Amino acid sequence: MNRYPNGKSYDQRDDLYISPHRFAPRSQPALRRRRLVFARFGLIAFVFLSLFLILFPGFRHVALPIISLGLLGGHPRIQLETVRYYDLDDVQGTAKGWEKEERILICAPLRDAESHLPMFFSHLRNFTYPHHLLDLAFLVSDSKDNTLSLLSKLLEELQADENPKIPVGEISIIEKDFGQKVNQDVESRHGFAAQASRRKLMAQARNWLLSSALRPTHSWVYWRDVDVETAPFTILEDLMRHNKDVIVPNVWRPLPEWLGGEQPYDLNSWQESDTALALAETLDEDAVIVEGYAEYATWRPHLAYLRDPYGDADMEMELDGVGGVSILAKAKVFRSGVHFPAFSYEKHAETEGFGKMARRMKFSVIGLPHYTIWHLYEPSVDDIRHMEEMEHDRQKREKEEAEKQARLKNVKDEFTEPNAQWEKDKGELQDRIKKEDEKAKQVNPKGDEAGPNAPPPQKETEATRDQEAAKEAGKDSIIEKPKDKANDAKAEQDTAKDATSKVSGPTTKAESEKESSDIKKSTGKGS
Amino acid sequence: MAISRSLRRTNPITLVLACLLAFGFLFFLFSPSTSETTLPWKGKHNAPATNPLSPPTAPFHKQTSKTKAKPPPVVHYPLNNVTTSADPEANLETILILTPLARFYQGYWDNLLKLSYPHHLISVGFITPKTREGNFATQQLQDVVHKTQTGPEANRFASVTILRQDFSVPVAQDEASRHKLENQKSRRAAMSRARNSLLFTTLGPSTAWVLWLDADIVETPPSLIQDLASYNKPIIVPNCFQRFINEQGKEDLRPYDFNNWQDSVEAAALAKKMGPEDILLEGYAELPTYRTLMGGIAELEPERDQSTIIPLDGVGGTALMVKAEVHRDGAMFPPFPFYHLIETEGFAKMAKRLGWQSWGLPNYFVS
Repeated sequence: MNRYPNGKSYDQRDDLYISPHRFAPRSQPALRRRRLVFARFGLIAFVFLSLFLILFPGFRHVALPIISLGLLGGHPRIQLETVRYYDLDDVQGTAKGWEKEERILICAPLRDAESHLPMFFSHLRNFTYPHHLLDLAFLVSDSKDNTLSLLSKLLEELQADENPKIPVGEISIIEKDFGQKVNQDVESRHGFAAQASRRKLMAQARNWLLSSALRPTHSWVYWRDVDVETAPFTILEDLMRHNKDVIVPNVWRPLPEWLGGEQPYDLNSWQESDTALALAETLDEDAVIVEGYAEYATWRPHLAYLRDPYGDADMEMELDGVGGVSILAKAKVFRSGVHFPAFSYEKHAETEGFGKMARRMKFSVIGLPHYTIWHLYEPSVDDIRHMEEMEHDRQKREKEEAEKQARLKNVKDEFTEPNAQWEKDKGELQDRIKKEDEKAKQVNPKGDEAGPNAPPPQKETEATRDQEAAKEAGKDSIIEKPKDKANDAKAEQDTAKDATSKVSGPTTKAESEKESSDIKKSTGKGS
Repeated sequence: MAISRSLRRTNPITLVLACLLAFGFLFFLFSPSTSETTLPWKGKHNAPATNPLSPPTAPFHKQTSKTKAKPPPVVHYPLNNVTTSADPEANLETILILTPLARFYQGYWDNLLKLSYPHHLISVGFITPKTREGNFATQQLQDVVHKTQTGPEANRFASVTILRQDFSVPVAQDEASRHKLENQKSRRAAMSRARNSLLFTTLGPSTAWVLWLDADIVETPPSLIQDLASYNKPIIVPNCFQRFINEQGKEDLRPYDFNNWQDSVEAAALAKKMGPEDILLEGYAELPTYRTLMGGIAELEPERDQSTIIPLDGVGGTALMVKAEVHRDGAMFPPFPFYHLIETEGFAKMAKRLGWQSWGLPNYFVS
């Protein structure tokens, strides 16, 4: 039946007839239907997608940015950067690199250097150059000890340091074994015969390290041996300030007193001499001249020997060969091809050859004769033998000394006992006298004259009592005494805290100290 | 009533079809990505790095400004595992292609893209001078690099590094002036510095082979890298020819790179008489060296034996394949007279001093 909602049938109406159903927009139910279909599709798609994401976790990286239209952080692949642009003019290296954010690559070749690493890292942490501008590169080769694991551990600690000024920039550990047969112990390392091949292998290691670690972002390269014992924290800035292409400080090493206290260490920093050039002429192509050996008398002026402990640290000296303990060089030197010749280059190899090659390419090579860093002293076999002899002598001497002491003590003990007994007796005697005196005082209040005489004996008795106690307790007393002293001091401190006036503190403390020192004195006497 | 009707309209077939469609759509969306995720970074040493300080031979993740930059991690590079073998593809050895670029040729880039060696194992490095011409070349290069690195996945290189030279080139590089004898020394010294700058900043810890390719090499076999590596030689060069139209108006080949040679007694005698700053150059009447040039002994007929191999004393840089360890040992391009040799010839000499022999393929052509 066609009816109005109010129940009236419109057929029955005789006034103006307008059917609301016929002209009302018919889209209402269709729209709803379509919406329903969309919703259903959406649901199905959603279920599928979530199933996908659950079943294949690998898809999440791909799917999420697509769904979110890249609004969420997104898949790392999309964030991957494969094109790099560098202008090498930006990394020339200037005198004030720290102001211009110039990066330094610190290179350290390592072999069996486990024992030196903690020292090296303490130096590293102390560098005043901004740490985020330092990149570290280590080459670990042919190591039989735990160099690698310790190095990793120390580096992880360095990067995880809470102080944001401690962690450095990029860190690369290059692991490469060259199969070196040459030993690194002090004796063979400095033996003349092994020098040429040793230096060539060292050069090879340095080149591998540098070629793997140098980046287009580096302005400077700093070569540093791990066995440097003492160096200024500001060494990077100090060397950089000179604004030279290659610069080295003077390297000395401390010696035990019986060897003279100190000694020039790095003899590879020198100026060329005519004698050496003439000598080079006579040698064959693969020979390598090494400094500091009687076999090659070169008569070159060495940087190390020119040191004046009170000289001007900024004084410069032109060099031809350099030592590798601590070299600061502009990265452009290495970029233009200067390296550590692992062959005989003008009769030199490694760092000396490096210096020569840098000079050949017209770079400035400078040494600072009065700016000194100290290399670790490692005793040679001869030194060790000598030291063993000295140690033996010392022990012998000590033994003799101890015997003498024991003998003296015995004698003393034997003779002091009656002495103490006598003191004791005397003390008791004086006690008695004192008591009698007091009695006398009580009896006769006017007996003032006896007063001044009384205190000294009293003190003496205290001392004797201490002595007795010391003797009885034996060694224990010596241990106990400092404890008492500490307690006293603590107690005094407490009282000082309680006291409102700060002035009273020190005085009481001083008093307590005086007391304790008195006690100490008395125990010293006793034993 | 309305509900029942709508249900009746969406019959099961429609639903099934919809599901299929949805599934197909999703599959279409994800299928290219699956191959992408399995393709690169198989070798551990070639995995993308986390920060821009990393070696330029590997790509890196951009650091978002939101996350507070953490200190870079400690990265181990086991160089003992970097191999250079006759079959570099199977061993996932990474190749670094280096090109000093003064002028950009589209043919060069097209040829580079045609190389059949897996591109995700290839890193490319360029160095361009800071001249007007160099700026223009850089601009063109950046355009094609951008196009390639955002294009199809298979064509993308692992990384592309573009360096700008920090020193000026002494003379203009037009064909006539650049081959003049007196200009050669300074030109090639500057070229050496450019090569060394490029080499030592991009070599990084994971590169196994270095392929030096001149910017004007526009035609090589697509399998160039595999072919050169298959000889497993420390230093190897193909023969470089130039295509030209001869007097008869026909296409012909002529030798281009005169730096590939075997030494002669005459050259050694000449060198002995020279001062320390003089250099011996090839292809100049003033310096009759009588060296055996590789360009001269090539057979031009098509059925030549391409695998002929000869030892060399001097090499050219047009297409020069070097094991990375040769460079790592310190062999570089001397910008100064080294045994009276400079640049690539000096490089061959220096490599020899380090115990690495150079080889040439007289019948294997690039142009």
